[in-house]
Amino acid sequence: MANTDSLGKYTVSYALSLAVVSVLNALLVIVKESSEDTVLAWMKRLTGHHWITHGIFVVVAFVALGWLFSRANGGRGMQISASRLLSLLVGAVVVGGAVIAGFYLIEG
Amino acid sequence: MTGGVEGLMMVHVLFGMLCIVAAVWVFVDVLNVSEANLARIRLMSMAVAVFMWLAYLIGGYWYVTYYAADKAVILKGAWPWAHNFFMEMKEHVVLLLVLLTTYLPIAAAGNLAANKSARTLVLWVVGLIALIGVAMDGSGAIIGVGAKIGLMPH
Repeated sequence: MANTDSLGKYTVSYALSLAVVSVLNALLVIVKESSEDTVLAWMKRLTGHHWITHGIFVVVAFVALGWLFSRANGGRGMQISASRLLSLLVGAVVVGGAVIAGFYLIEG
Repeated sequence: MTGGVEGLMMVHVLFGMLCIVAAVWVFVDVLNVSEANLARIRLMSMAVAVFMWLAYLIGGYWYVTYYAADKAVILKGAWPWAHNFFMEMKEHVVLLLVLLTTYLPIAAAGNLAANKSARTLVLWVVGLIALIGVAMDGSGAIIGVGAKIGLMPH
């Protein structure tokens, strides 16, 4: 396993969480916009507006996954090299943003 | 639309701009990091997060409460894509900005002066915040112009 000593447990855990949730955010956009009668309608019912539900889902997922990742490996947190973590984080944010923009470019 | 609501939108833009300025501040401070400016980097990283959350909550309140009327105007105007692409994209990409700015104080908590990996990570995070922030600001401007064009006589 790669050396992770250079970055703190929470720095790694929440970076990984951010990467995962960036992609989940984009996937949720596609799923809800493609399922207006089911997923989008359910998200609207939950809080009164689909975007509020979407925002709560994203923030709660970020906090929960970051906490879970920090509890991995007997409480030492996820093990990943700094360079790999950086690639994952930047890649996921860029892909997440590009998927959303691409989706609305096609669908809009 | 009332003056108070317009004022709310201006406060949303103000906090968004402050977030970008603070992110650029952190970027420059991290490039010149030493033990002397570590506390300021952490403080400004927290400021980036606070400014973004204020922009997000105020803009979100405005969007959920008042945007439907603007949307109808934009869609009837000559720039329907100001909503169909820019607003739809903005309201979801901005969540990446919320996550990145929330993460920044965590990433900046380490000793950036001694740790090159942590320094590189923070530089990428604030770089993304500044770039996405400018994209959101520009999208907001296009949406505003879309509404203005929608109100013009055809």
